[in-house]
Amino acid sequence: MRAKTLCITVLSTGLLSTASAEPPPVQITNAWIREVAPAATDTAAYMKIRNLSQTALELVGGSSTIAGKVEPMITTKQTRNGHEVLGMETVPRLTIPSGGTLELKPGGNHIMIMGLTFHPKEGDQVKLTLKFAPGDHQIDLQIPVSKEPPK
Amino acid sequence: MSERTLSSFFKVQGINWRMVFTACAIALTILIAFFLSRYTAYRKAQEQFYGQVLEPAQDSYDFRLVDQNGKAFQLNQLRGKVVLFSFGYTHCPDVCPTTLTDFGKIYRALSENDRKQVQVLFISVDSRRDSPETLKNYIPYFDASFLGLTGDKEQIQEATKAYGASYEFVHHPGEDPDVYFVNHSAYAYLIDPAGKWKAIYDFDQLRETEKVVADIRRVLKSR
Repeated sequence: MRAKTLCITVLSTGLLSTASAEPPPVQITNAWIREVAPAATDTAAYMKIRNLSQTALELVGGSSTIAGKVEPMITTKQTRNGHEVLGMETVPRLTIPSGGTLELKPGGNHIMIMGLTFHPKEGDQVKLTLKFAPGDHQIDLQIPVSKEPPK
Repeated sequence: MSERTLSSFFKVQGINWRMVFTACAIALTILIAFFLSRYTAYRKAQEQFYGQVLEPAQDSYDFRLVDQNGKAFQLNQLRGKVVLFSFGYTHCPDVCPTTLTDFGKIYRALSENDRKQVQVLFISVDSRRDSPETLKNYIPYFDASFLGLTGDKEQIQEATKAYGASYEFVHHPGEDPDVYFVNHSAYAYLIDPAGKWKAIYDFDQLRETEKVVADIRRVLKSR
């Protein structure tokens, strides 16, 4: 069942809002944003980003209408006394090699959406803009809100 | 009694000793085979436990904290129930909601009767930001029956230490002092109805709802 899969091919012009910023050569699938509890101040966006170009691309940040900050984030794993400790770290970029796919998923790398000004509910669509380097690449996405990864 | 009288006594009773021995030997073999198969099944069931079983099971540390309603809470008050809990914090955008969503799926996959004998807890290690009120607006979202707990620094330190968990605050220089991340252990801990710490699950293991549910059912049955 791939019915819920969000598939955006970059050249579909309807998705581009800013005429100045060039669309990045990427294909984005399985995108979703986590619905959160009322007290939550932050959430995360997950997706698969495939680099269709001949050179490496970097996801360097983004913005959203529902939050103050959008940042690429990695999940760190350390071992203390034989127990694993999970943590988060903001990173300036997440690199996608030519022809490669960056998988953003729960418990792994993700896009953190910090300082929520609005709590979207399952079934809502949230606008998320992602910025890529090198160059001034930008893509606007409409991402479904869900409690769990799309099946 | 002479051998003669003995043999005549048996003859009188009409007992064929060879038959008796054979019957006993067969009965004994069946009995041994039965217990052996039961024991093998028991061992297999133990081995099939999906979580990482603690051998031998340890007494659970009886933490004393405060619940989301501001009421004093201690683990021992849940004696007789299976307890599943984890450590985390409400500002956690990824790991904690994933774990709590898993807990919700596990809990709701149990029968109504089993659910009455299971309590899910979430212990915040972020005493600075997570008040009982914050937890009240966070925990019931995942399931109305779940309890969020918090406490002062020392109480949290004791509770985490007792379960081998750790956490640390990661501040960002120049940022608002209330904006920080918390690195923390993301295991789930299973306490049996007798108050023994039975097993742990790592973050990824919790995705397998049915397997965790089977473990909980097994613990409830073995009471």
